[in-house]
Amino acid sequence: MITRPTRLGFAAAATVAALALTGCVANNAGDSTDTTISVDSSANDCALSANEAPSGNLVFSVTNSGDQVTEFYLLGDDGLRIIGEVENIGPGITRELVVLAKPGDYFTVCKPGLTGEGVGKAAFTVTDSGTDLSFGLA
Amino acid sequence: MLANFLIGLREGLEAALVIGILIAYVRKIDRHDVLPRIWLGVGLAVVISLGLGASLTFGAYGLSFQAQELIAGILSIIATIFVTWMIFWMLRAARGLGRELRNEVDSHLTGAGWGLVLVAFLAVGREGIETALFIWAAVQASGSTALPLTGAALGIAVSIVLGYLLYRGVVRINLTRFFTWTGAILIIVAAGVLAYGVHDLQEAGVLPGLHALAFDVSAAIPPDSWYGTLLKGTLNFSPATTWLEAGVWLAYVGTVMTIFIRTVRGHRRSEEPIAPAANLSTQGA
Repeated sequence: MITRPTRLGFAAAATVAALALTGCVANNAGDSTDTTISVDSSANDCALSANEAPSGNLVFSVTNSGDQVTEFYLLGDDGLRIIGEVENIGPGITRELVVLAKPGDYFTVCKPGLTGEGVGKAAFTVTDSGTDLSFGLA
Repeated sequence: MLANFLIGLREGLEAALVIGILIAYVRKIDRHDVLPRIWLGVGLAVVISLGLGASLTFGAYGLSFQAQELIAGILSIIATIFVTWMIFWMLRAARGLGRELRNEVDSHLTGAGWGLVLVAFLAVGREGIETALFIWAAVQASGSTALPLTGAALGIAVSIVLGYLLYRGVVRINLTRFFTWTGAILIIVAAGVLAYGVHDLQEAGVLPGLHALAFDVSAAIPPDSWYGTLLKGTLNFSPATTWLEAGVWLAYVGTVMTIFIRTVRGHRRSEEPIAPAANLSTQGA
Protein backbone atom coordinates (compact mmCIF):
# COMPACT_ATOMS: atom_id res chain seq x y z
CA MET A 1 0.00 0.00 0.00
CA ILE A 2 1.42 3.34 -1.07
CA THR A 3 0.38 6.03 1.41
CA ARG A 4 0.34 9.75 0.76
CA PRO A 5 3.40 10.48 2.91
CA THR A 6 5.28 7.74 1.05
CA ARG A 7 4.56 9.41 -2.29
CA LEU A 8 5.67 12.73 -0.86
CA GLY A 9 8.82 11.02 0.34
CA PHE A 10 9.65 9.70 -3.11
CA ALA A 11 9.09 13.12 -4.67
CA ALA A 12 11.34 14.66 -2.03
CA ALA A 13 14.05 12.05 -2.59
CA ALA A 14 13.99 12.77 -6.34
CA THR A 15 14.30 16.53 -5.73
CA VAL A 16 17.24 16.06 -3.39
CA ALA A 17 18.96 13.66 -5.79
CA ALA A 18 18.56 16.17 -8.64
CA LEU A 19 20.00 18.92 -6.44
CA ALA A 20 22.94 16.73 -5.47
CA LEU A 21 23.71 16.07 -9.13
CA THR A 22 23.45 19.68 -10.30
CA GLY A 23 25.36 20.88 -7.24
CA CYS A 24 28.34 18.63 -7.96
CA VAL A 25 31.63 20.39 -8.57
CA ALA A 26 34.95 18.80 -9.52
CA ASN A 27 37.29 18.11 -6.60
CA ASN A 28 40.85 19.30 -6.94
CA ALA A 29 42.10 16.06 -8.52
CA GLY A 30 44.69 17.54 -10.86
CA ASP A 31 42.05 19.68 -12.55
CA SER A 32 43.84 22.79 -13.77
CA THR A 33 40.74 25.02 -13.54
CA ASP A 34 40.54 24.52 -9.77
CA THR A 35 42.42 26.78 -7.39
CA THR A 36 43.20 25.60 -3.89
CA ILE A 37 43.81 28.11 -1.14
CA SER A 38 44.84 26.90 2.27
CA VAL A 39 43.43 28.65 5.32
CA ASP A 40 44.85 28.48 8.84
CA SER A 41 42.18 29.22 11.43
CA SER A 42 43.82 29.82 14.81
CA ALA A 43 42.54 31.34 18.06
CA ASN A 44 42.90 34.91 16.80
CA ASP A 45 43.70 34.81 13.09
CA CYS A 46 42.38 33.55 9.77
CA ALA A 47 45.43 33.35 7.49
CA LEU A 48 44.97 32.60 3.77
CA SER A 49 47.77 31.38 1.47
CA ALA A 50 46.56 33.92 -1.13
CA ASN A 51 44.16 36.88 -1.13
CA GLU A 52 43.43 36.70 -4.84
CA ALA A 53 42.28 33.91 -7.16
CA PRO A 54 40.95 33.51 -10.72
CA SER A 55 37.18 32.98 -11.14
CA GLY A 56 35.95 29.39 -11.32
CA ASN A 57 36.07 26.58 -8.79
CA LEU A 58 37.78 27.74 -5.62
CA VAL A 59 38.71 25.24 -2.94
CA PHE A 60 39.38 26.69 0.50
CA SER A 61 41.17 24.05 2.53
CA VAL A 62 40.61 25.18 6.12
CA THR A 63 42.74 23.77 8.92
CA ASN A 64 41.81 24.46 12.53
CA SER A 65 44.98 25.02 14.56
CA GLY A 66 43.10 26.49 17.53
CA ASP A 67 41.41 24.56 20.33
CA GLN A 68 37.82 25.67 19.71
CA VAL A 69 35.47 24.51 16.94
CA THR A 70 35.68 26.97 14.04
CA GLU A 71 33.82 27.99 10.89
CA PHE A 72 35.09 29.65 7.72
CA TYR A 73 33.05 32.09 5.64
CA LEU A 74 33.42 33.61 2.18
CA LEU A 75 31.29 36.77 2.23
CA GLY A 76 30.03 39.07 -0.51
CA ASP A 77 31.32 42.62 -1.08
CA ASP A 78 28.86 43.93 1.56
CA GLY A 79 30.67 41.78 4.12
CA LEU A 80 27.33 40.19 5.12
CA ARG A 81 25.93 37.97 2.37
CA ILE A 82 27.25 34.40 2.66
CA ILE A 83 28.77 33.08 -0.56
CA GLY A 84 30.15 29.97 1.06
CA GLU A 85 30.61 28.53 4.54
CA VAL A 86 32.09 25.41 6.08
CA GLU A 87 31.01 24.48 9.62
CA ASN A 88 32.05 21.95 12.23
CA ILE A 89 35.81 22.25 11.75
CA GLY A 90 36.95 20.64 14.99
CA PRO A 91 40.44 21.25 16.38
CA GLY A 92 43.07 19.41 14.31
CA ILE A 93 40.66 18.85 11.41
CA THR A 94 40.95 20.14 7.83
CA ARG A 95 37.77 20.69 5.84
CA GLU A 96 37.19 22.04 2.37
CA LEU A 97 34.81 24.70 1.13
CA VAL A 98 34.17 24.44 -2.61
CA VAL A 99 32.59 27.46 -4.30
CA LEU A 100 32.07 28.42 -7.91
CA ALA A 101 33.19 32.05 -7.63
CA LYS A 102 32.41 34.88 -10.04
CA PRO A 103 34.86 37.76 -10.50
CA GLY A 104 34.44 40.43 -7.80
CA ASP A 105 35.29 41.60 -4.31
CA TYR A 106 34.78 39.33 -1.34
CA PHE A 107 35.69 39.00 2.33
CA THR A 108 36.99 35.97 4.21
CA VAL A 109 36.55 35.43 7.94
CA CYS A 110 36.94 32.64 10.53
CA LYS A 111 34.65 32.15 13.52
CA PRO A 112 36.38 30.18 16.30
CA GLY A 113 33.87 29.46 19.07
CA LEU A 114 31.05 29.98 16.51
CA THR A 115 29.98 33.38 17.88
CA GLY A 116 30.38 37.07 17.19
CA GLU A 117 31.88 38.82 14.21
CA GLY A 118 34.74 36.36 13.80
CA VAL A 119 38.48 36.95 13.52
CA GLY A 120 40.93 37.84 10.73
CA LYS A 121 38.34 39.36 8.39
CA ALA A 122 40.20 40.25 5.17
CA ALA A 123 39.44 41.37 1.63
CA PHE A 124 39.59 38.69 -1.07
CA THR A 125 39.59 39.38 -4.80
CA VAL A 126 38.43 37.08 -7.58
CA THR A 127 39.81 38.10 -10.98
CA ASP A 128 38.17 37.24 -14.32
CA SER A 129 39.71 34.06 -15.70
CA GLY A 130 37.37 33.97 -18.70
CA THR A 131 35.92 30.62 -17.51
CA ASP A 132 32.22 30.18 -18.29
CA LEU A 133 30.36 30.13 -14.96
CA SER A 134 26.81 29.90 -16.29
CA PHE A 135 26.39 26.54 -14.55
CA GLY A 136 26.96 27.99 -11.09
CA LEU A 137 24.24 28.72 -8.55
CA ALA A 138 26.17 31.71 -7.21
CA MET B 1 39.17 16.29 21.68
CA LEU B 2 36.37 17.80 23.80
CA ALA B 3 35.36 20.15 20.96
CA ASN B 4 35.14 17.25 18.46
CA PHE B 5 33.29 15.16 21.07
CA LEU B 6 30.66 17.90 21.40
CA ILE B 7 30.18 18.11 17.60
CA GLY B 8 29.59 14.35 17.47
CA LEU B 9 27.16 14.56 20.41
CA ARG B 10 25.21 17.44 18.84
CA GLU B 11 24.88 15.79 15.44
CA GLY B 12 23.73 12.48 16.95
CA LEU B 13 21.35 13.60 19.71
CA GLU B 14 18.24 14.59 17.80
CA ALA B 15 18.22 11.42 15.68
CA ALA B 16 18.77 9.26 18.79
CA LEU B 17 15.86 11.04 20.49
CA VAL B 18 13.37 10.49 17.65
CA ILE B 19 14.43 6.87 17.05
CA GLY B 20 14.29 6.17 20.82
CA ILE B 21 10.67 7.38 20.98
CA LEU B 22 9.72 5.51 17.80
CA ILE B 23 11.07 2.21 19.14
CA ALA B 24 9.48 2.73 22.57
CA TYR B 25 6.15 3.31 20.82
CA VAL B 26 6.35 0.17 18.70
CA ARG B 27 7.30 -1.89 21.80
CA LYS B 28 4.42 -0.40 23.79
CA ILE B 29 1.84 -1.53 21.27
CA ASP B 30 3.50 -4.96 21.00
CA ARG B 31 4.44 -4.72 17.38
CA HIS B 32 8.01 -5.95 17.59
CA ASP B 33 7.73 -7.17 14.00
CA VAL B 34 7.87 -3.52 12.83
CA LEU B 35 11.28 -2.96 14.45
CA PRO B 36 13.28 -4.28 11.46
CA ARG B 37 11.63 -1.57 9.29
CA ILE B 38 12.79 1.17 11.64
CA TRP B 39 16.31 -0.26 11.70
CA LEU B 40 16.17 -0.52 7.90
CA GLY B 41 15.51 3.22 7.72
CA VAL B 42 18.32 3.96 10.20
CA GLY B 43 20.73 1.64 8.40
CA LEU B 44 19.94 3.06 4.95
CA ALA B 45 20.49 6.61 6.21
CA VAL B 46 23.84 5.74 7.82
CA VAL B 47 25.12 3.80 4.79
CA ILE B 48 23.96 6.40 2.23
CA SER B 49 25.33 9.34 4.28
CA LEU B 50 28.72 7.71 4.88
CA GLY B 51 28.90 6.59 1.23
CA LEU B 52 27.98 10.02 -0.15
CA GLY B 53 30.32 11.69 2.34
CA ALA B 54 33.20 9.41 1.35
CA SER B 55 32.71 9.92 -2.38
CA LEU B 56 32.45 13.70 -1.88
CA THR B 57 35.61 13.70 0.28
CA PHE B 58 37.81 11.26 -1.62
CA GLY B 59 36.15 11.07 -5.05
CA ALA B 60 36.36 13.24 -8.15
CA TYR B 61 33.45 15.51 -7.22
CA GLY B 62 32.63 17.69 -4.24
CA LEU B 63 29.36 19.40 -3.38
CA SER B 64 29.01 23.16 -3.82
CA PHE B 65 28.09 25.18 -0.76
CA GLN B 66 24.76 26.29 -2.23
CA ALA B 67 23.68 22.73 -3.05
CA GLN B 68 24.69 21.49 0.41
CA GLU B 69 22.68 24.21 2.19
CA LEU B 70 19.66 23.68 -0.09
CA ILE B 71 19.71 19.92 0.51
CA ALA B 72 20.04 20.35 4.28
CA GLY B 73 17.29 23.00 4.34
CA ILE B 74 14.84 21.00 2.23
CA LEU B 75 15.52 17.76 4.14
CA SER B 76 14.87 19.59 7.43
CA ILE B 77 11.50 20.84 6.22
CA ILE B 78 10.55 17.38 4.90
CA ALA B 79 11.68 15.84 8.23
CA THR B 80 9.38 18.27 10.08
CA ILE B 81 6.43 17.18 7.92
CA PHE B 82 7.15 13.51 8.64
CA VAL B 83 7.67 13.90 12.38
CA THR B 84 4.41 15.90 12.56
CA TRP B 85 2.65 13.13 10.64
CA MET B 86 4.19 10.56 13.01
CA ILE B 87 2.86 12.41 16.11
CA PHE B 88 -0.73 12.38 14.83
CA TRP B 89 -0.44 8.90 13.46
CA MET B 90 0.63 7.69 16.91
CA LEU B 91 -2.39 9.47 18.45
CA ARG B 92 -4.78 7.92 15.94
CA ALA B 93 -3.35 4.49 16.57
CA ALA B 94 -3.59 5.14 20.31
CA ARG B 95 -7.30 5.88 20.01
CA GLY B 96 -7.64 2.46 18.40
CA LEU B 97 -5.79 0.96 21.37
CA GLY B 98 -7.95 2.81 23.89
CA ARG B 99 -11.09 1.27 22.42
CA GLU B 100 -9.28 -2.02 22.17
CA LEU B 101 -9.77 -2.12 18.46
CA ARG B 102 -6.52 -3.86 17.75
CA ASN B 103 -7.43 -4.27 14.09
CA GLU B 104 -7.39 -0.52 13.67
CA VAL B 105 -3.90 -0.34 15.11
CA ASP B 106 -2.80 -3.12 12.83
CA SER B 107 -4.20 -1.47 9.72
CA HIS B 108 -2.50 1.80 10.65
CA LEU B 109 0.77 -0.02 11.05
CA THR B 110 0.58 -1.82 7.73
CA GLY B 111 -0.47 1.38 6.03
CA ALA B 112 2.29 3.33 7.70
CA GLY B 113 5.00 0.73 7.48
CA TRP B 114 6.98 2.53 4.82
CA GLY B 115 6.17 5.84 6.44
CA LEU B 116 8.02 4.55 9.52
CA VAL B 117 11.05 3.67 7.39
CA LEU B 118 10.99 7.21 6.03
CA VAL B 119 10.69 8.83 9.47
CA ALA B 120 13.65 6.78 10.72
CA PHE B 121 15.57 7.52 7.51
CA LEU B 122 14.96 11.28 7.68
CA ALA B 123 15.67 11.53 11.42
CA VAL B 124 19.14 10.09 10.85
CA GLY B 125 19.76 11.26 7.28
CA ARG B 126 18.74 14.91 7.67
CA GLU B 127 22.11 15.96 9.01
CA GLY B 128 23.72 12.80 7.66
CA ILE B 129 25.80 14.29 4.87
CA GLU B 130 27.16 17.08 7.09
CA THR B 131 27.99 14.59 9.85
CA ALA B 132 29.61 12.18 7.37
CA LEU B 133 31.74 14.98 5.87
CA PHE B 134 32.84 15.89 9.41
CA ILE B 135 33.67 12.26 10.24
CA TRP B 136 35.63 11.70 7.03
CA ALA B 137 37.56 14.92 7.68
CA ALA B 138 38.41 13.52 11.12
CA VAL B 139 39.49 10.25 9.45
CA GLN B 140 41.74 12.20 7.08
CA ALA B 141 43.30 13.99 10.05
CA SER B 142 43.94 10.69 11.82
CA GLY B 143 47.15 10.33 9.81
CA SER B 144 48.65 12.98 12.07
CA THR B 145 46.41 12.78 15.15
CA ALA B 146 43.73 10.30 16.21
CA LEU B 147 42.19 12.71 18.73
CA PRO B 148 39.54 14.31 16.43
CA LEU B 149 38.21 10.93 15.26
CA THR B 150 38.19 9.50 18.80
CA GLY B 151 36.33 12.57 20.06
CA ALA B 152 33.75 12.50 17.25
CA ALA B 153 33.13 8.75 17.64
CA LEU B 154 32.74 9.07 21.42
CA GLY B 155 30.29 11.96 20.94
CA ILE B 156 28.08 9.94 18.61
CA ALA B 157 28.31 6.92 20.94
CA VAL B 158 27.17 9.02 23.93
CA SER B 159 24.23 10.41 21.90
CA ILE B 160 23.14 6.83 21.15
CA VAL B 161 23.40 5.91 24.86
CA LEU B 162 21.25 8.97 25.74
CA GLY B 163 18.68 7.91 23.11
CA TYR B 164 18.62 4.43 24.69
CA LEU B 165 18.16 5.88 28.18
CA LEU B 166 15.24 7.97 26.92
CA TYR B 167 13.74 4.83 25.42
CA ARG B 168 14.17 2.97 28.75
CA GLY B 169 12.58 5.88 30.58
CA VAL B 170 9.50 6.38 28.43
CA VAL B 171 8.82 2.70 27.78
CA ARG B 172 7.86 2.33 31.48
CA ILE B 173 5.23 5.08 31.77
CA ASN B 174 1.56 4.39 31.04
CA LEU B 175 0.21 4.73 27.53
CA THR B 176 -1.85 7.93 27.85
CA ARG B 177 1.01 9.76 29.54
CA PHE B 178 3.41 8.30 27.00
CA PHE B 179 1.49 9.82 24.10
CA THR B 180 1.04 13.18 25.78
CA TRP B 181 4.71 13.53 26.73
CA THR B 182 6.40 12.07 23.67
CA GLY B 183 3.98 13.96 21.42
CA ALA B 184 4.74 17.27 23.13
CA ILE B 185 8.51 16.57 23.05
CA LEU B 186 8.37 15.66 19.36
CA ILE B 187 6.43 18.86 18.51
CA ILE B 188 9.16 20.99 20.14
CA VAL B 189 11.88 18.94 18.37
CA ALA B 190 10.11 19.23 15.00
CA ALA B 191 9.70 23.00 15.46
CA GLY B 192 13.46 23.27 16.07
CA VAL B 193 14.21 21.24 12.95
CA LEU B 194 11.90 23.49 10.92
CA ALA B 195 13.57 26.66 12.23
CA TYR B 196 16.98 25.13 11.51
CA GLY B 197 15.89 24.36 7.93
CA VAL B 198 14.75 27.97 7.54
CA HIS B 199 18.17 29.12 8.78
CA ASP B 200 19.92 26.90 6.20
CA LEU B 201 17.77 28.39 3.44
CA GLN B 202 18.59 31.88 4.77
CA GLU B 203 22.30 31.02 4.60
CA ALA B 204 21.88 29.74 1.05
CA GLY B 205 20.27 33.10 0.18
CA VAL B 206 16.95 31.45 -0.78
CA LEU B 207 15.12 33.13 2.11
CA PRO B 208 15.90 36.70 3.29
CA GLY B 209 16.65 38.08 6.75
CA LEU B 210 19.84 36.21 7.74
CA HIS B 211 21.18 39.22 9.64
CA ALA B 212 17.87 40.34 11.22
CA LEU B 213 18.31 38.75 14.65
CA ALA B 214 15.35 38.39 17.02
CA PHE B 215 17.77 37.77 19.90
CA ASP B 216 21.41 36.91 20.47
CA VAL B 217 22.25 35.20 23.76
CA SER B 218 25.57 33.74 22.55
CA ALA B 219 27.36 35.38 25.48
CA ALA B 220 25.17 33.55 28.03
CA ILE B 221 24.88 30.29 26.06
CA PRO B 222 28.06 29.82 23.99
CA PRO B 223 27.29 27.41 21.12
CA ASP B 224 30.49 25.45 21.82
CA SER B 225 29.74 24.93 25.53
CA TRP B 226 28.34 21.59 26.72
CA TYR B 227 24.95 23.09 27.59
CA GLY B 228 24.84 25.00 24.29
CA THR B 229 25.57 21.67 22.58
CA LEU B 230 22.77 19.87 24.44
CA LEU B 231 20.25 22.65 23.65
CA LYS B 232 21.27 22.66 19.99
CA GLY B 233 21.35 18.86 19.71
CA THR B 234 17.94 18.24 21.27
CA LEU B 235 15.84 21.35 20.56
CA ASN B 236 17.94 22.85 17.74
CA PHE B 237 18.09 25.98 19.88
CA SER B 238 20.29 28.59 18.24
CA PRO B 239 21.67 31.30 20.61
CA ALA B 240 21.53 33.77 17.70
CA THR B 241 18.07 33.35 16.18
CA THR B 242 16.72 35.35 13.24
CA TRP B 243 13.23 36.89 13.23
CA LEU B 244 12.13 34.53 10.45
CA GLU B 245 13.32 31.47 12.43
CA ALA B 246 11.59 32.68 15.59
CA GLY B 247 8.37 33.46 13.67
CA VAL B 248 8.27 30.07 11.96
CA TRP B 249 9.00 28.31 15.29
CA LEU B 250 6.20 30.14 17.10
CA ALA B 251 3.72 29.61 14.24
CA TYR B 252 4.48 25.88 14.13
CA VAL B 253 4.35 25.30 17.90
CA GLY B 254 1.24 27.50 18.22
CA THR B 255 -0.68 25.65 15.52
CA VAL B 256 0.43 22.06 16.04
CA MET B 257 0.44 22.16 19.87
CA THR B 258 -3.13 23.55 19.86
CA ILE B 259 -4.37 20.79 17.54
CA PHE B 260 -2.43 18.20 19.56
CA ILE B 261 -3.85 19.30 22.94
CA ARG B 262 -7.39 19.41 21.54
CA THR B 263 -7.02 15.92 20.08
CA VAL B 264 -5.59 14.51 23.33
CA ARG B 265 -8.43 16.10 25.36
CA GLY B 266 -11.00 14.76 22.91
CA HIS B 267 -9.59 11.26 23.38
CA ARG B 268 -9.65 11.49 27.14
CA ARG B 269 -13.27 12.59 27.18
CA SER B 270 -14.37 9.76 24.92
CA GLU B 271 -12.35 7.27 26.93
CA GLU B 272 -13.70 8.30 30.35
CA PRO B 273 -17.40 7.55 30.51
CA ILE B 274 -16.85 6.06 34.00
CA ALA B 275 -15.00 9.00 35.52
CA PRO B 276 -14.05 8.81 39.21
CA ALA B 277 -16.67 10.40 41.46
CA ALA B 278 -14.12 12.74 43.06
CA ASN B 279 -13.35 14.14 39.63
CA LEU B 280 -17.01 14.77 38.83
CA SER B 281 -17.65 16.63 42.07
CA THR B 282 -14.71 19.01 41.54
CA GLN B 283 -15.84 19.66 37.98
CA GLY B 284 -19.37 20.38 39.11
CA ALA B 285 -18.27 22.96 41.68
